[in-house]
Amino acid sequence: MSHTRTLVEALRKRLGGAAPLPPPAPTPRIPEPPVRVFPRRNEKTAYAKEAATHTTALLGIGHVGTRYATDVVLQFQAELAVAHGAVAHELAPDFAARNALLPLESRVADHRQFLLRPDLGRRLSDESVHRLRAGATKSPDVQPILADGLSAVACEGSGMALLHAFTRACERRGLTVGTPVCARYARVWLEDEIGEIVGAKVAAILLGERPGLGTGDGLSAYLVYEPKLGKTDGDRNMMSNIHARGTPPEVAGDRLAVLAKAMVDQRTSGVSLDLSGLVAELGEAASRAPRAPQERVRLVEVDR
Amino acid sequence: MILEPIPPRILSVRRIPNADPAVLAAYGADPTRHRSLGLITVDQDDPTYVALDEATKHAPVDVVFARSFYAGAAHGSGPISGEILGVLAASDPDEIDEGLAALIRCLEHDACFYGADESKKTPVFPHVIASLGHYLSAQAGVAPGTSMAYLVAPPMEGAIALDAALKAADVRAAKIFPPPTETNFTAAWLVGSLVDCQAAAEAYCETVVRVAANPRER
Repeated sequence: MSHTRTLVEALRKRLGGAAPLPPPAPTPRIPEPPVRVFPRRNEKTAYAKEAATHTTALLGIGHVGTRYATDVVLQFQAELAVAHGAVAHELAPDFAARNALLPLESRVADHRQFLLRPDLGRRLSDESVHRLRAGATKSPDVQPILADGLSAVACEGSGMALLHAFTRACERRGLTVGTPVCARYARVWLEDEIGEIVGAKVAAILLGERPGLGTGDGLSAYLVYEPKLGKTDGDRNMMSNIHARGTPPEVAGDRLAVLAKAMVDQRTSGVSLDLSGLVAELGEAASRAPRAPQERVRLVEVDR
Repeated sequence: MILEPIPPRILSVRRIPNADPAVLAAYGADPTRHRSLGLITVDQDDPTYVALDEATKHAPVDVVFARSFYAGAAHGSGPISGEILGVLAASDPDEIDEGLAALIRCLEHDACFYGADESKKTPVFPHVIASLGHYLSAQAGVAPGTSMAYLVAPPMEGAIALDAALKAADVRAAKIFPPPTETNFTAAWLVGSLVDCQAAAEAYCETVVRVAANPRER
């Protein structure tokens, strides 16, 4: 649309001309965009081809000039929107009550503060400390904690499935499991305080993980032996990508119970935990070999 | 009929996909960033300046050279010299293609002179740019995205009309080019909000028409 043409047309009319401006040259038809190019595989070298089969990262998706193709950009934007949506979602306040879990809250006041102040998300509110002392079984082998973390979508989606699978697997291995609790506005390190208060041998927090592209529904689990305030990430063992396209919750529950049992047996966790004898039970999680070839599965499908 | 469009004629469009560093440097490109050039000659200079700026909005190209030729298209050195040589530079020939496509689209559909009298002997260029690209904005010393009324007319008409335009709307003169310029026209770049630029351009155009119709008050 030409602003100049519009104003000249109006002026012509005002100055006494009746005939409209001669039409501009016709605009050429805009060609159709190329057909779907994602996930186009056009690796140029054997090395790139091999590398692309071992990752779900966006490798070998081609380019148009120096830019991405339109389809790739649309797919990227759709997957980014899923991630944004997952971070923005809040755990329903009655989620714990509906699932018969002991409800706990961190010191965070609202969702915005939760995102800006990780330190407050790592400590229990005073009220929650009392509720935990009054309502939870003392000195279990394993204290399971379900939490929202950075993706309440994942927590509401497959959180209960993972919690049940983990609880059953622990009991099968002869571990006593504490009162299941549900923490809102929680960060990983909240497990230290909860585990310390109930006197658990192992604290296990199962929470929504920071969404990546196309994974807004992933859960992570962090386990620590002898939880107490001041434990570092070097003291923890973790498992990520617990979702249908990664490790399904049923399989993950089993593997986490193996980890918990190993911690109780070896009386340690984190870097010093020896996993070499558990390759059979933990599968690829304990192996140091390159990942098996895999296909990227899309969480969102872009219409065109 | 007055205010008939006088469409610009594109006389030549050529590309140099991988230009020699000496040529790049001579035409103001930066050999460390630029590699490809796109060159165009047109028989109207001001629509081309506008179109070159338009190109910077559609592709990562830089306008490295844009100069009007002395005394205008009627005195060109050759049949395809026209009135202006414009040069786009980019890191990649694909970007040049995109830039040239936007440039030509703008020349064919938007930017052109209009005849302020029946005989089309008094050209006027009352052009409104809603949002400047990074070429003209840098030339005018304003932020990219600013609205501009790009106004051109012959010396007498241009002087009277510029005064009328500045009084008609809340606009500021970013740059005024008094005569004689290379092509012996006079030009002005007014900036302000889009509606103010439109009002200024309309007042400018109307005044040029009135002065052309009545050159001697006494």
